[in-house]
Amino acid sequence: MMNTPQQVKNPSSSLKSRFITRFLGALTKITAEDPISSSSPTRIFQRYRRIKVASNKSMAYSVRSRRIWSRAMLSRFRSRRSAFSGRRSSVKTTNCTTSPPPALIKVTINEKKTAKGGLDMQTDELRELVPGGEAMDVCNLLDETAHYIKCLTTQVQVMRKIVDFYHLSK
Amino acid sequence: MADFSEQSYRQPFPFLDIDPTMESLTQFAELNPQSFILDNSAFNFQTFFPLSINDSLFSNQASQGETMSGFIHNSNQSSVSAQPIFSAKTEVEEISNKRKALDILESSSGNSSSSSPQVSETGIKRRNNSGRGKRAKSNEKEMEKPKEVVHVRARRGQATDSHSLAERVRRGKINERLRCLQDIVPGCYKTMGMALMLDEIINYVQSLQNQVEFLSMKLTAASTYYDFNSESDAMERMQRRKAEEAKELERLMREGYVGIGGVACFHSSSTYGPL
Repeated sequence: MMNTPQQVKNPSSSLKSRFITRFLGALTKITAEDPISSSSPTRIFQRYRRIKVASNKSMAYSVRSRRIWSRAMLSRFRSRRSAFSGRRSSVKTTNCTTSPPPALIKVTINEKKTAKGGLDMQTDELRELVPGGEAMDVCNLLDETAHYIKCLTTQVQVMRKIVDFYHLSK
Repeated sequence: MADFSEQSYRQPFPFLDIDPTMESLTQFAELNPQSFILDNSAFNFQTFFPLSINDSLFSNQASQGETMSGFIHNSNQSSVSAQPIFSAKTEVEEISNKRKALDILESSSGNSSSSSPQVSETGIKRRNNSGRGKRAKSNEKEMEKPKEVVHVRARRGQATDSHSLAERVRRGKINERLRCLQDIVPGCYKTMGMALMLDEIINYVQSLQNQVEFLSMKLTAASTYYDFNSESDAMERMQRRKAEEAKELERLMREGYVGIGGVACFHSSSTYGPL
């Protein structure tokens, strides 16, 4: 039984290795589909969307149902998949929890915060960022945020490595 | 005497409820490793002589101010035998409200409230932190003034009704979680208040999510480029543009987590596609 030195959730595999396996599988599937023969930006954009969804999905599946945020994310995926039959391009960016304009607005709201009342504003913001955050109390929210941050950093790390491999293989 | 037995009956059960939340208690017990040995002997002594506990307890308080905290924590772990101790403490407290305080169950109070809200109200005893400076444990985060049946440590001059108590316990939990987040999120300093830290955390989460998006964009570009090396001029132009954007993203990412800058870059790369 191999104990990987990273975040060891169960002795046989770690979160990181589970994520890597899933994500690489999805990635190869996406790149093998070969949509770029038509050099249209929409195809490229579709591919980008797919990769992003695959990344978040792989992470959510690697965490399974152990966390509230992963459960919320998975239910989001499932509802989306059932709602839309084939065309993934018609799927709205519900998976994208950040979008540029609201982020800018959030920044200005932060600057206007007061000492005590601002806490509610910020916890609300946090709720928006963390999937499934609306139904959590502050205590659980902070817990989930910590785990979510951990998973996000893993995601970023792995994706960077993959990009480096792409560049190296050239 | 009848009083005493009555209380000894009343006290044990809430104490039992505290048992499930042992982790922080063990941590706390680890903080007082030396006291463990001392307290065990005192512990046994007191179990067997409930009548004389009042005096012995008091003298023990006098002699082992600090070590009593570890003692109580250890006694928590064996709730049954701890009951008479606790009832003795009730007695002592009732007799002399201004006695020295023992630091018990600050963390247990926090954890017991996590197990069940009733526990924090009915199960924990509090003691007065009286004037004797040595005993005033002001370095603990959850100290409540003992006035009611809740076994939570109180500080001098703090309100003691159950609402503010539960509120304080809840706040303590939140502060604990915030401290964990502090270690994870870079740029959080201990001196920052909760609002600032939440700001930092929000920025960090946003930047991480942006990084994921940028990286997936980069992956798209890389996969498109390397899959189709020999293509038409139009394709190559697009690829070159993508490569430039990818380099830009790379530069931004090398600066650490980007925050607002990431959002701005996101804008510039939005020409890449409708977002």
